[in-house]
Amino acid sequence: MNKKTIFSFVILSLMLILLFLYAVNTGSIKVTYIELIKGIFFEHNEDVSTIIDLRLPRIVISILSGAALAVSGVLFQAVLKNPLADPGIIGISSAASFVSTIIVAFFPHLFFFSPIFAFLGGIVSCVLVYSLSHKGGFSPLRIILVGIAINAVFSGLTSAFSTMSGEEFTGASSIINANISMKTWEDVKLLAVYTIIGLIMSFFVSSYCNLMALENKTIRGLGVSVHKLIILISVTAVLLASINTAIVGTISFIGLIVPHLSRLMIGNNHKVLIPFSVILGAFIMLLADTVGRLIAYPYEISPAIIMSVVGGPFFIILLIRSDSKYGN
Amino acid sequence: MEIKNLEFSFKTNKVINDISFKIEKGKITTIIGANGCGKSTLFNLITKNLKVQKGEIFLEGENIKNISLKNFAKKVAIVHQYNTAPADITVEALVGYGRLVHKSFCKGYNEEDEKLIEKALKATGTYSYKNKTISELSGGQKQRVWIAMALAQNTKYLLLDEPTTYLDIKYQIEILRLIKCLNKEFDITVIMVLHDINQAIYYSDNIIAMKEGKIIGAGKPYDVITRDLILKTYGIELNIEEMNNNKYVIPI
Repeated sequence: MNKKTIFSFVILSLMLILLFLYAVNTGSIKVTYIELIKGIFFEHNEDVSTIIDLRLPRIVISILSGAALAVSGVLFQAVLKNPLADPGIIGISSAASFVSTIIVAFFPHLFFFSPIFAFLGGIVSCVLVYSLSHKGGFSPLRIILVGIAINAVFSGLTSAFSTMSGEEFTGASSIINANISMKTWEDVKLLAVYTIIGLIMSFFVSSYCNLMALENKTIRGLGVSVHKLIILISVTAVLLASINTAIVGTISFIGLIVPHLSRLMIGNNHKVLIPFSVILGAFIMLLADTVGRLIAYPYEISPAIIMSVVGGPFFIILLIRSDSKYGN
Repeated sequence: MEIKNLEFSFKTNKVINDISFKIEKGKITTIIGANGCGKSTLFNLITKNLKVQKGEIFLEGENIKNISLKNFAKKVAIVHQYNTAPADITVEALVGYGRLVHKSFCKGYNEEDEKLIEKALKATGTYSYKNKTISELSGGQKQRVWIAMALAQNTKYLLLDEPTTYLDIKYQIEILRLIKCLNKEFDITVIMVLHDINQAIYYSDNIIAMKEGKIIGAGKPYDVITRDLILKTYGIELNIEEMNNNKYVIPI
């Protein structure tokens, strides 16, 4: 690792810590940091307890889901050789969301396993996108088009289900809207377990991601099975995206923006890119959540909405730039 | 390498039609033919990128369909016509990929790996810019790097698909000289596909001419190249001149 990379890591980590401290103490209840530390470790304090029970879980969830979605984006972009791939855009998240909505609605006692069902939904969607867009190789444009169609179908099914049930399943509608304001430590625990597993897996597949940048024939020529690489990387990417969707909801574009910015800052080596995207993803998601809490106070805007408003134009810019880069 | 009664079809279209030949060890064999004659398909078959439908391909007596991808890569290195790499990877890191087949994924390079990477860099003349990134290189330099990567695999066979395409004439000749040099110095058996007839004649020990999925001429360039063969292969009548004990086609 060169100096610039280490410098970027240090600066970004510091920014994340500062943002975390700011976010913890921003909102209707304010305490001093001394009171906060006292309240956590030494004595009971009403305000601090409220912060710990209500505000802290959503902050930790933002950090975890930002990291997970960013890494999922990196992995999808590597495996599909497509800088525009994002688990939200290509329909992985909406399929996961659909399955977990159904499960939570009909089998509430299976709540703890909802990430696993979401994962299965994500896998189904992933297989659909891959098989429908594969014609002697993945065409970048076809992946996006097929993904948009699959995304539309599953989002539609989820909305239809939600409307038909009279929106009585609050758990379901919170997943649809990616509303993280009512999250508890139970949710945090659930998300943390699966996210950490996914992130560890992603570190293991980072060298595979580097190989994927070569032509498939060249990879085979080096004695490595391309199918094996595609399956291992995709399973990790789907896991990260779908568990996140099961607990937090669908958040698009973060898996697109973070990897892109990370590449600009520290390059294409996935052994560095993946850890960096973890921190940057956490930072941007927490930023979106904090801004959403402040911008229309006392009303809250979901980070998913913030990401869509900012991410849409960003996606268009990427699209135009990639046209001039690959459009020969 | 030996090919026996090879056939291959895309749906009903027979692209390779009952081909048999033997590759002489330690020599350079070049496959020539017009566009669509099946030479690319043949290349993909002998590099295990397409599954053999009928017939057999043997490598050192073993049918290649029974050789795993990994073991095949320990014996045969391939340079494809079209290659991509991340813009910011260094030459040395890319050439290092050639060692992948000999080690497990997570481990670093051992002393032997380092030695072979250095040897590959030096043999291809890429050592002086080993710390540069791919995006800083010219087309000719990049092609040398891909050959260096193949060389790092340390195999007895080197297969190249149109290694001179997209290059200026100066780089074309440089690459062909490099291939000849690797063949002589390391006793590597080379099989390649070339577009240019005269380059094929000059740099090859043996030539295989293809038309419509069949071999219509094979052997030493001087014996194979005739006015009639050129007409059959490319569908055009061209003059042939003798020079320095070899025959050359006047492509005008």
